[in-house]
Amino acid sequence: MRRGYIRNIEPLKILTDTQVEAIHRGTLDVLEETGVRFESQRALRMFKKNECIVDFENNRVRFPSYLVEECIRRTPSSFLVKARDLKNNLRFGGNTLYFMCSAGARISDPETGETRVATMKENNEAILISDALENLDYFPSYTPYFEVEGVEPVMLCPTSCAMRLRYSSKVSRGAQSVDTYIWEIQMAQACGAQLLGNMEAASPLSYSEDAINAGFGYAEALFPIYIAGGGVMGGTAPVTIAGATISNNAELLAALVFFQLIKPGVGIIANDIEYPMNMRSGSPAFGSLGISLHEAAFNQIWTQFYRIPTNNCAAGFPNSKLFDLQSGYEKTHCAMTSAYSGANSILLHGGVSAELAYNPLMAILDDDLAAIIGRHIEGIVVDSESMAIELIKEVGPIPGTYLDW
Amino acid sequence: MSSDILDGLYRVVLDLNFEDAEDLAKKSIEEGIDPLQSAEALTKAIREIGEGFAKGDLFLPDLVLASKVLQRALPVIRAEIKRQGKKTHTRGKVVIGTVFGDIHSIGKQMVATLLLSSSYEVIDLGVNVKSSVFVEAVKKYNSDILAMSALLTTTAYEQKNIIKDLISKGMRDKVKIIVGGAPINQEFADSIGADGYAPTAPLAVTLVNKLLGLDSGG
Ligand code: B12
Repeated sequence: MRRGYIRNIEPLKILTDTQVEAIHRGTLDVLEETGVRFESQRALRMFKKNECIVDFENNRVRFPSYLVEECIRRTPSSFLVKARDLKNNLRFGGNTLYFMCSAGARISDPETGETRVATMKENNEAILISDALENLDYFPSYTPYFEVEGVEPVMLCPTSCAMRLRYSSKVSRGAQSVDTYIWEIQMAQACGAQLLGNMEAASPLSYSEDAINAGFGYAEALFPIYIAGGGVMGGTAPVTIAGATISNNAELLAALVFFQLIKPGVGIIANDIEYPMNMRSGSPAFGSLGISLHEAAFNQIWTQFYRIPTNNCAAGFPNSKLFDLQSGYEKTHCAMTSAYSGANSILLHGGVSAELAYNPLMAILDDDLAAIIGRHIEGIVVDSESMAIELIKEVGPIPGTYLDW
Repeated sequence: MSSDILDGLYRVVLDLNFEDAEDLAKKSIEEGIDPLQSAEALTKAIREIGEGFAKGDLFLPDLVLASKVLQRALPVIRAEIKRQGKKTHTRGKVVIGTVFGDIHSIGKQMVATLLLSSSYEVIDLGVNVKSSVFVEAVKKYNSDILAMSALLTTTAYEQKNIIKDLISKGMRDKVKIIVGGAPINQEFADSIGADGYAPTAPLAVTLVNKLLGLDSGG
């Protein structure tokens, strides 16, 4: 079974070198002057010890630029995550592209688009299907369904993790909510696997206490880490792509410093889930142009300039409630742009209805899309045989054909 | 002169001009204009903004900016109303927040803003709000409505804890409780003993009007 595609094409550069520099400098400026809120005394003390300017009363950390750049250098350009089964180990970074399963709160009906809470049987079947899909390499937290019938809400994340460890031997990401990392770490270790640890921002420019606690927990378990910003363009981030890229970068680089201070050299994958807000309803404009433009800029900065692996999350959540044309083009233009601009991982399989639902049939369709995208970035062979110059000469004009060669 | 200033207060909202809002409110007091009339000019304008939003002519930032104008101008006017021993006309007081453990803010802010634009006094406690803070705010502001937002299945149950806390403090009957957010539905709202649920921000306003026995007008 294959794990990942190797990019063999020059990645897209949507920004000029000067623009990349300007965005990086802007990010350092925000980190140094405005800083980021960390709602954890333990984190604040750690930052203070490492020469950040810390305002304990307002939970604010201001980062000296040299420290941020030092921590970017400390972050490896690729890292390994151990799966329960060795053949499913993943090495994120470099030219590799993986695909991640989507997460949806509920199960979606393919005919009507209506959603309902999934049963445990449906949850576990969906995991088995994902386990079998060729191009699906790993799972995020609380996947496939966040809600499962008969499971107490407080037990949802650990139960979801346990089921993924039981029914799949592929890598999983841990959750960050309400201390569930404590159980998830132990379950993974008991299976001889690692999880991708997790710490996600509460935009703008903030990290909540349970996210930070999870961050400490995963880093101390020596797991590699998935960091995520959480801005909504026009709502919790600037409405412009450049501005949203800077606020997202500031959130992510603050998290990167946090982890490199706890565990120098820890592997990190940076996630992009920024999307524009529908300015009438406040709801997410998934599948929109703003997403693919943001992803292109984000991947260029992180994979090409910082040399740190990336995942793109917003790509796999269509706004469509159905398995239809809309869903198809929403996912394709976002995921294709991600792949072309150098993403190391794309969330793709099974998402419907703006991150609110999942369906395993959709995951099967998306596996085809993943294969097309993966094959695309493998590029084409141009050598003496594939150029076929001699053959073209030999066949010549009509009535020549290529059927008998 | 008086009508010029009143017109100015009405305009400052429609123009989303939060920079001049406070100065204009102060000026209206210096000029001796009846603060009740000033408040009426401001609320008339925000109601129009709310209607424009509901019709789809205006966008969310228009609504939020207009409410920012009100947040700057109204406290000045209200203080003067109080100083003159008069009574403020609001439709009622609403304490709102996203519950503890939950930092989703966009939906909650929409509900808060639309209520404000419908002439309610809104006390927004922000996100990740502990039960004790909700309970204290309900007591301190003697609010008519407690509105709680939760976007996670895991935090939806926090709404139940807050209702329990209000019961144990003997305060449950003093306030109407409404809940909302993506994982919430009517059945859930009933099961935790809330007074109402609405799936969208405009319907949250209709719900509050209904619970307080008011019509939909300003
Ligand atoms: C944006 C977003 C985030 C942002 C939040 C940024 C911010 N400052 O708000 C970030 C990235 C930080 C985030 C984090 C998380 N999120 Co989130 N997030 C979303 C997302 C994509 C959109 C939410 C939104 O803004 N909707 C738009 C607004 C306008 O809609 P709304 O909030 O529903 O509000 C409307 C109505 O519900 C109603 N309403 C709202 N409140 C109230 C209150 C009352 C009283 C009434 C009457 C009505 C009412 O009126 C509003 C307007 O019409 C949803 C998916 C989705 N499509 O909803 C997931 C989602 C809500 N998140 C989810 C999850 C799991 C998380 C995380 C746990 C992820 C993680 N990896 O750890 C964290 C939790 C952090 C925390 N402790 O809270 C899940 C929840 C699943 C569930 N059933 O519990 C969802 C559904 C996505 C998913 N399937 O995974 N998230």
